[in-house]
Amino acid sequence: MITLQNIKKSYFIGERELPILKGINLEIREGEFVILMGVSGSGKTTLMNIIGLLDKQTEGEFYFMDTYVDGLDDEALASFRNRHIGFVFQQFFLLPYLNAIENVLIPMVYSDKQIKHPRDKAKRLLEKFGLLERIHNRPSQLSGGEQQRVAIARALINDPDLILADEPTGALDSKTGNEIMELFGMLNEDGKTVIVVTHDPKLASFGKRLIRIEDGTISEDITA
Amino acid sequence: MGLSQKISQLREFLEETIKILYYYRSRVVFSFSGVALGILSICVIITTIDGANKKAYEIFEALGPDAIMIFGGTERQRMARERANTLTINDADSLQRIGGIYDVLKIFAVRGVNMKYRDRKWQTQAVGATENYFSSFTWGLQSGSFFSSEEYDNAEAVCVIGATVYEELFKGENAIGKVIQIGKLPAKVVGVLEERGGTVGGPRIDDRVVMPLTTVMSRLSNEKRFLSMIRLKTNRDPDETIEDVKSVLRKNHGIQGAEDDFMTRSSKDILQFVSVISGSLFLFLGTAAVVALVVSGFVLANLFYLTIQERKKDIGIRRAYGATRKGILLSFLFESVFITIIGGIAGVLLSIALQGTFEKLFDIPMVFSFKVVVFSLVFSFLTGVLSGLKPALKASRIEPIEAIRG
Repeated sequence: MITLQNIKKSYFIGERELPILKGINLEIREGEFVILMGVSGSGKTTLMNIIGLLDKQTEGEFYFMDTYVDGLDDEALASFRNRHIGFVFQQFFLLPYLNAIENVLIPMVYSDKQIKHPRDKAKRLLEKFGLLERIHNRPSQLSGGEQQRVAIARALINDPDLILADEPTGALDSKTGNEIMELFGMLNEDGKTVIVVTHDPKLASFGKRLIRIEDGTISEDITA
Repeated sequence: MGLSQKISQLREFLEETIKILYYYRSRVVFSFSGVALGILSICVIITTIDGANKKAYEIFEALGPDAIMIFGGTERQRMARERANTLTINDADSLQRIGGIYDVLKIFAVRGVNMKYRDRKWQTQAVGATENYFSSFTWGLQSGSFFSSEEYDNAEAVCVIGATVYEELFKGENAIGKVIQIGKLPAKVVGVLEERGGTVGGPRIDDRVVMPLTTVMSRLSNEKRFLSMIRLKTNRDPDETIEDVKSVLRKNHGIQGAEDDFMTRSSKDILQFVSVISGSLFLFLGTAAVVALVVSGFVLANLFYLTIQERKKDIGIRRAYGATRKGILLSFLFESVFITIIGGIAGVLLSIALQGTFEKLFDIPMVFSFKVVVFSLVFSFLTGVLSGLKPALKASRIEPIEAIRG
């Protein structure tokens, strides 16, 4: 599903080159549940941005769904993200002026997929996550755990192939965090490919495969 | 992608825009009201100028394009609203002999005359005029008749009353044949003039009684020589005729090189006067409108710019979920245009609601037309695009990772 070949990424501060990723080789297959672990500054977020087509590598080749995505322009990348990736972020990033169900429907505004009755689907997803009574609530009226579950419903509305979560438990207490991780496990059981990026070692046990990033390279890759 | 999906996406987008604007309403209100005020001014300008032109045309029609009026007194005295009687009956007779003049109307008016019918009182002007008064002004009757040549020649105490006087003294009852007191003179009402309305020739055109000139001069006041006004109609070029009129009067009055002690006015002058009024109105209100629109445009642009900083994450998440740069640009531009268009519509509605007030203020009727609406909407649209462009461009350039990183 995802193939990374010798991916390098550097930032330039003036003349000085600051290497973040120093040659990553990685293959992720459909149906995997990957925990991408690394401390702050290890390059894990940069790697996630590249996998999520939000950023471009300086060097190396990247295939997503057997497509060589490096040559795609802004419009094609946007469409690709919309079709294939569901993002979940640490700060939830729900839009404050929309209620829960409207937030879930955001990707549909940009979608060209044929999804029948998206509103009913959004409602089913929220119901599945125990938020049926909350569908008309604004984000400010929801707890952190509830907001994150709305965000996950949003990630799923467009039937993506990959769920990409960046520190999804970072803003939650550990009990709620565990519930969210179990939710990802459930989605993975249903067949979704899930990648969770985190610095928190306690989350390692939730995945089926643990990839540890250290100083811009993969230092450990364990499949359970 | 199916059409129905496109439509439902569009509806979703529209609903979202409204929610966004509601969420940022305190900012929206400022820009909105600025645009509304600007458009209000533009509406007032256009409708008032149209109204002024219409009024000018009506005056032109009512006076006749071939009419020339002559008043006593110098231009300066007239500006100071002083009255000086310098025109005589003799002058009128000399003017009659100028080639091309086919109608000479002599008028001697007495202002502030007390009138009485039974216990009802009214004060107005008594206009003494030659018989051609009514035909010259193409003024018809609602009842009765004009005074006859016989009544004129015999200086009989008869009068034709204006619609306002009729309302005040008779309140809709039959007036023909009734005797009213005009000053100290009991006069028989022979006719009631039809209503001319407020715009043509001043707001009080209907507030007058018209009597034979002979009667007014000999029995109402004791004026043997002077007239207040002479009105001519010519079938030659009015400007040429005016030159002839001036030379005859200068000769009669013995003026050589000094300032004329009379003034002439043609319908052309009135048209010119109205166009000057509408010109200054245009300048004044036009400036106000442009200032209002520019200021509201700047306010809109700046507030918008601020919200973009605040909405960085919003933009980031939309980009992550498939919004293109172009999509972000368009949605932000749309927001801005939406505000200004709604503001523009409010401005148009406000100007319609305030029509009465403005008409009183400027004493010019406002004429609303389709043109006004189109003009207003185009201006609102342009304000929205121009002020929204820079913020929208900025929004579209935000990279998703930079937005999401926080």
